[in-house]
Amino acid sequence: MKNGTLFFLGLFASFTVSFAVVLLANHQLGALTPYFDDGEGKAFPDRMPGVAARGQLVYRDLGCASCHTQQVRRPGFGADQARGWGERQSVARDYIFQPFAQLGTMRIGPDLTNSAGRKPSALDAEDLMNLLYAGQGAMPAHAFLFEQVKVTGEVPAKALKLTGSAAPAAGYAVVPSEQAQTLVAYLLNLNTVYDYPESRPVVQAAAQAEGAHK
Amino acid sequence: MSHDTQEVSANDAHARGPLLLLLGSGLVWLVISGVLALIASVQLHTPTFLASCAWFTYGHMQALQETAFVYGWLANAGLALGLWVLTRLGGEALRAGNWVTVGALFWNLGVTLALVGIVAGDATGHSLLQLPRYVQPLLLIAYGAIAVAGVLAWSGRRNEASYASQWYVFAALFLFPWLFSVAHVALFVVPMRGVMQAVTAGWFAQGVFTLWLAPLALAAAYYVVPKVTGRVLPGYQFASLSFWVLIVVGAWTGGRHLIGGPAPAWISSLAIVSCSLLVFHYFVVWLNLKGSIGQGGAVMKFTSFGLLAYVIGGCADAFTSIRSFAVITQFTYFTQAQQQLALYGGISMLFFGALYFAVPRLTGKTWASAALIGGHATTAILGVLLLVISLGVAGWTQGQALLKPAVTFPEIAAATRPWLLLATAAYAVLLVGNLMLVVNFLQTLAAKPTVPAATLFQATSDIKETA
Repeated sequence: MKNGTLFFLGLFASFTVSFAVVLLANHQLGALTPYFDDGEGKAFPDRMPGVAARGQLVYRDLGCASCHTQQVRRPGFGADQARGWGERQSVARDYIFQPFAQLGTMRIGPDLTNSAGRKPSALDAEDLMNLLYAGQGAMPAHAFLFEQVKVTGEVPAKALKLTGSAAPAAGYAVVPSEQAQTLVAYLLNLNTVYDYPESRPVVQAAAQAEGAHK
Repeated sequence: MSHDTQEVSANDAHARGPLLLLLGSGLVWLVISGVLALIASVQLHTPTFLASCAWFTYGHMQALQETAFVYGWLANAGLALGLWVLTRLGGEALRAGNWVTVGALFWNLGVTLALVGIVAGDATGHSLLQLPRYVQPLLLIAYGAIAVAGVLAWSGRRNEASYASQWYVFAALFLFPWLFSVAHVALFVVPMRGVMQAVTAGWFAQGVFTLWLAPLALAAAYYVVPKVTGRVLPGYQFASLSFWVLIVVGAWTGGRHLIGGPAPAWISSLAIVSCSLLVFHYFVVWLNLKGSIGQGGAVMKFTSFGLLAYVIGGCADAFTSIRSFAVITQFTYFTQAQQQLALYGGISMLFFGALYFAVPRLTGKTWASAALIGGHATTAILGVLLLVISLGVAGWTQGQALLKPAVTFPEIAAATRPWLLLATAAYAVLLVGNLMLVVNFLQTLAAKPTVPAATLFQATSDIKETA
């Protein structure tokens, strides 16, 4: 390594080759298009409505991905299906309309890939608001996403129905801020109910192929 | 490797200002990140802690502590030690010292802005690249200014022969800005779509460790170990092969976090194979530097612990990348334990060792307090062991529970709580130790030299007296 130029070129080549791996993956995934289903007469995945797209920014800004993943692993690899997080594994096509894919690295809380399509029952807007406001178990309360307002006349329609220790003082109501509303709209939009050809479990397809031969 | 017979040379005096600025600011960030890590750690078992304000969510605290630790402490200290090793082995005085000073000021300004941005909610959400996108160009330019001195020290080296330490520093100096600028373009300027962001971020995060921080730490170790032991490194002829294995396949291992997820399976398969190839690198590093194990003195305590942690961490990465392990450890505290073992146990401890070796030579003064050095060594070793074990057990418990669909999340939180409490204690111990280092560093800077610098280090093994 006495030849400085050669050494430098070696470094540069190693670096380029390592990035080529990323580029290869991008060649495979970068141009994925939505999948058009003839039977349903529409393309999947859906684009998120504007309010949910804003909610994704709130999700990112608060750092929700530090505790929640948004990637369901394939059946047989972990208990993701058994926990009801999704019937199928996540595939790259699920994320093509997401400007900031939030795959996450930690599961201190449940996976949220399919939070709106979860079986047997997904949380609805009211459950999500209450969970955000009061927290539960290891999930901290996000009371800063809500405002306490003085009730004059009618109780606001958006006010949370709170009971027990979480309830506000008499004459006050807890209403979600715009951030909380967009965040909940985002969570209610997360679903991977549609089954793409590439998302069907390999095991199942292999079994079918075997059956066809007989 | 002891071709510079004078232990304190005029070259060191020349490099004193800029390098002590880098080391000093690194130490400030070390303490700040320690406080932030403590807060984040408390929030894991006590979710009500600081929960009333959007600034202090766990997501923010985690991003803050990681950024302060990697871009504050490790970057500053690594660059200082890297430049010092290059100038010493090159046999020439540090050139472009003013560039280093200006670069250091702007780098630290950039890190400060990054932390403010993260608190405001501008973190990118990518591990080891949480820096808000708008501070990244500033950091890149500041890094360039600091690295000028390194390039000049290499190209203007007086001694024609080159050593492992020099390759490692030189590689690190160039590879980081390449990684950083490519990741910036691919993630923020012309952002890739969907899953590709996770693939690119994984490549970058792994590159930060294997192509930047690990080379800087190894450079320090390859310089310090023969100096202190006074022996030629065994198996040195394999060092260049080991170097190239790290540089060529190092960044390929980034995909191991994507096992089972939506990225194509070949990415994680390639990562698993690369992790096994890297074991060769770890083996050679062990072969070369194992002479440091069991040597007396504080420098060797830190260095040998760091070496052990680096090698064990690398082997642990190879094991846990195998799918039957990954299915348990993925998405759990176990991955945090591995990261802390690598970044704190490996890189940071090797930096501590080299720092205890370098500061007396840079300042021409002995360390102000031997007791504080001993205290720091004890607390750092105890803290890292406690931290890695507690997070590891918490992660294993969590991983096993996640595999059982009947176990609810509040139950998992209750089962991991004792171990997370222990992890908080570990962060507290580490913080106390780092405060000892800062106090000692400041006292050393303030002290008046008692003996002429030239007589301070008569032989290479004299380090035992001072550190």
